[in-house]
This record gives sequence, C-alpha cells and structure tokens, in this order.
Amino acid sequence: MRVPTGISELDAMLHGGLMRGDVTLVVGSAGTGKTTLALQYLVNGAMKFNENGLYVTFEQLPAQIYRDAASFGWDIRKLEAEGKLRVVCTSPPVLAQFVEPRNPIDPIIEEVNAKRIVIDSISHLESFIPASELRSELYRLVSHLKMKELTSVFTSESHEVFGDRLVVTGVGLSFLVDCIILLRIVEVQSSLKKALTILKIRGSDHDKSLREFEITSQGIKVAAPFTQYEGVLTGAPRLSLSEQRFVEMFSKASEKKR
Amino acid sequence: MKETGLHELSEKLIGSEIKAELLRLFHMNPGILDTVEGIARRVGRMPKDVEAEISPLVEVGVLRRERFGKLDIVSLNTGKDKEIRDRLAALVKGDMEG
Repeated sequence: MRVPTGISELDAMLHGGLMRGDVTLVVGSAGTGKTTLALQYLVNGAMKFNENGLYVTFEQLPAQIYRDAASFGWDIRKLEAEGKLRVVCTSPPVLAQFVEPRNPIDPIIEEVNAKRIVIDSISHLESFIPASELRSELYRLVSHLKMKELTSVFTSESHEVFGDRLVVTGVGLSFLVDCIILLRIVEVQSSLKKALTILKIRGSDHDKSLREFEITSQGIKVAAPFTQYEGVLTGAPRLSLSEQRFVEMFSKASEKKR
Repeated sequence: MKETGLHELSEKLIGSEIKAELLRLFHMNPGILDTVEGIARRVGRMPKDVEAEISPLVEVGVLRRERFGKLDIVSLNTGKDKEIRDRLAALVKGDMEG
C-alpha cells in the first residue's frame, strides 16, 4: 500500500509513493529544500489524499512556517482550523517523551487523526540524546511511529554541501529507516542546481536516477535525470560521453582532419 | 477563574514586558508545546525570569501547564484564551462607557 507524496515525479520514482507505515529520511544540507518537501508531503496528504498530518518542528516557529508555506500557496492556518493539519513546535526533550505511555504528542495525533507525521529535524533530537543511547532511542522512536501506523518523514541535516564525502547520518539511522531521499546542491556549468535521488527503499524497487529538481512557486518540482553527467553526487559533476556522442565527436574530428 | 476587574486582569496578562512577549509568542505560534527552558530560549530570556511570568498566565487560564514524566510542559489554552480575550474586550468596552 503506497502513500503518495503528491509530488508526481517523485511518486513515479518511488513507484507510487512511500510505503504505508514506513519511516523516510530526507537528508540534505541547508537550503536544499528538506522542509519544503516535508511540508508538501503533509499539505498534499491533507488536501489531495484525505490524510491528516502532524508537523513537529524544533527550531522554526510556526509563524515562520505559516509564512514560508504561504509563498507556495499553502494555507497552513486554514488546514489547522479545519482539523487536517497541526504544527507543533517543541524541544527535543519533549519529543523524547513521545515513547512514554503518557505523553503530550499522542492526544494531538488522536485529535487530528493523523496518518502522516514529519519530524523536522531528527538532527536536533540526535543532539539531545547521549551518544551511547542514541541508536536505541531512535530505534524506539521509529518502532513507536510504526506501531501507530503513521507514515513518517524525518528530515536530517547533512553538513557536506559539496565534495565527494557523503555521510547520511552519524549514528546508523540510515539502517533504522526504510527509505532515504537525498537532496544535494551540485555545480553544473558554473551554476548551482539541486539534485535528488532515492538511496534506498526497504522491500521495494525504485528509480535510481539522479534528478534535477527546483523549488517553484508551487513547491518542489522534480525534473529530468542528469543523464549527461557523472559524479553528480560529488557536487562537481563532469560531462559523461555516451557512446553515440563519442561517435559523433570522433566523426566531427575526423572530418576536420580531412 | 474568579471575577476580576479590568485593571486586575490586564495586570495579570500584560503586567510586565516578559508577559507581553509570552502572550505575543503563543498567539502568533499557537502550536508551541514546550518546557519553560524551551520557551525562554524562544523569547531570548533566562528560564528563571520566564518561570516567574508564566505562573500568573497559567493562573488566569491563558496558558496550560501539564506534567509529563519529569517535564512540565506549557501550551496555549486555546479555548480559555478566546474566552479571556472576549472578556477583556467586554471589560475595556464597559470601562470606556462607564
């Protein structure tokens, strides 16, 4: 059973959407569009798929989220008033209570009848939990969300903006989650572009191409794969010569010689 | 909440700069669900100063304070908040007319 994000090209890459009840990690450096993608997933859920959602933020105040979402035409306040979406702004210690039998998040999930949840970002929770307990605590959180049958999206900050070294997370969270979507800024022909790829989906095939994407006035729009380039994930791709293009270039060079 | 006059109610609500900041924070961000430490960070104040100002707002009913495990969590009491705002508006109106 698939849970569409509502971003049609991404859903096609996911072969229909996220798997119901799965936890997806959206990883990217600052400014890559993690929050936009996560919000779009919830807004589309509430507006197009009759699936209510909960957005948990640690740093950004709801007022800022309302304002940023409005620039994409998403009226979060209206969705909140209609009981379809709820924005909760809290601190990591409060979210850590989520796995306790009595916690402040469960009543909100029930009140909104949430089927989708976003935690933006899991990196803040990671900074709160002692390193020795981090993996087991994250495992507990992932299990709790699955028991509640929520289809979850965690955002995670990657510190590498460019370069060939890529660390998805430092604590093995990539093994705990079911799906990983990587967002990256790349330099192509002296311009900065955004690239998206799906690194894994547990138990399902997926499109493995690297796609360019843009943040438009309607939200994220995924475009064609970077077919003419290789090394895109390093942030500094180079043109790759397809066999056909190589033959064309070779022919032109031969003609010039004659 | 016991009946209070305009002066007493407004004193409880906005009797200090920090109280006014807290009310503004919660009204603009009704989804805040946080500890006193977390709220203090969001208004750029020290927790002890915010702690002192939150109690009267809880007493009036604008904010709700609930214990979860080891944490005291503060949030906007949305239903009560509207009731108090309406009441304040009525008191201001009455004060101007009287």
